[in-house]
Amino acid sequence: MTESLYAVLEALPQTSLTTHILDALDTFVPGEWRNITVFEEMVKDVTGESDQAIIQQVGERAMQLWSDESTGYQRAVSVYKGIDSASTVAGVAALASMVGQKFEILSFLNDVTPKPDTTQAIDAGVKLAGELVAFTLTNGLPGDSVSDFAAALVNYGKEEKIRLAAWLAIDCVLPLGPDFILKILEALDGPLESLQESRAFQFVSAHLPGGLGEQRDTIKKNLEESRGHLEGLVASHGISQESVLAKVKEYIAIADDKLDVAAAALDLATNTFEHTGTQTVVRRVVARAYGEI
Amino acid sequence: MNARRVRRAILGLWVVAAAAAAPACKKDEPKSTRWDDAAVTVNIATSSSAAAVPVGTFNKFFPKDGDGGFKRIYSADKENYAEAKLQKDGKEVAQLSISDTERLATAREKFDAATEKVEGYPVLKVGNNQTPALVNKRFQVKVASPTLDHEARKAILATFDLKGLSSL
Repeated sequence: MTESLYAVLEALPQTSLTTHILDALDTFVPGEWRNITVFEEMVKDVTGESDQAIIQQVGERAMQLWSDESTGYQRAVSVYKGIDSASTVAGVAALASMVGQKFEILSFLNDVTPKPDTTQAIDAGVKLAGELVAFTLTNGLPGDSVSDFAAALVNYGKEEKIRLAAWLAIDCVLPLGPDFILKILEALDGPLESLQESRAFQFVSAHLPGGLGEQRDTIKKNLEESRGHLEGLVASHGISQESVLAKVKEYIAIADDKLDVAAAALDLATNTFEHTGTQTVVRRVVARAYGEI
Repeated sequence: MNARRVRRAILGLWVVAAAAAAPACKKDEPKSTRWDDAAVTVNIATSSSAAAVPVGTFNKFFPKDGDGGFKRIYSADKENYAEAKLQKDGKEVAQLSISDTERLATAREKFDAATEKVEGYPVLKVGNNQTPALVNKRFQVKVASPTLDHEARKAILATFDLKGLSSL
């Protein structure tokens, strides 16, 4: 039987390497994200209600909606998990040792060979496509107009916003630099085999229409349409290679100052998409349940 | 050292680390028990012979963008459910929704106690923050907001195309 909705949320850690990284990146989107890992707390946060009978009703309806696989919510969580697990090595987060209030990434992680720029760039583009896929599985295509994910991005808040900030910081700016969008688009224009080889792509491709070429075009279009907003976020929040590394080092001891090595180590050791993506989906199911009861 | 070797080394060390039992992830167990019973019974859904309301059906009955000085942003469009947010000065003010109560009898039955009406449809206050109406004894139209009071929420209900919705 499928794990129930509350159990999925409550399986998330209250403190982990990932939550430390997200706390560190909070500086770029202050106050947007709170690490809610208790179902009742999520229901209260979404509804603002304190009446226990209403909280119970909302929670039970949310669990019902989740358990019906045709609603798409379970698939959305599996996409978030998939694009993360493609790069995360199981157990690494637990292996990182806590030294005082800081996590220390074990020394061998500092020997990680960074991904080639092209692979890194393709993975970053694929992850944003994964965000698009999970968004549509969760929310459908809101409104009457054609898919306007780019417009939805502008209205991202809370878990969605910290996830986007983490993607920009760790998957884009830290390893690729300020002209990351250009690098991703160039990499996507390379041989289609490079896209096929991306492990994250395996989790996304099933949900994108058309053949490989068309899927590549969708990933590119998604990036091009979101470009203005994404570059605006980077500029207005001061996300730079230096600021990201400095912030991360407040929480996590990284021996190496090489940006691509730090990015690769963070990529291996964290699961920001899975963690915040699960929170996003639970929040959206609860919001719907609140509308329906 | 290449990435594959690193991964192997990590997996090998995992066993050692687990034996050393130095947990880096804090987790209080268990967090909730109140949902356990619900989890068991949750699959008992109300059956209905009525066809599901397709995606895209409800959107046109929402208030227009700019009505009442609010910006309207659609936020979900699913089978049997559509949702939009109202914003003022860039801040979210209310969640609007239209849902089909065909498979959720309790949502419909609560209107038996309604004493108010908007455009002839029964309306009530639910919890602290919700004001729903029931159109055609089937479609629930709801305004939820922690900052707007019941009267303000009723005023927003009146800006939906309730008549249009009743013709579905």
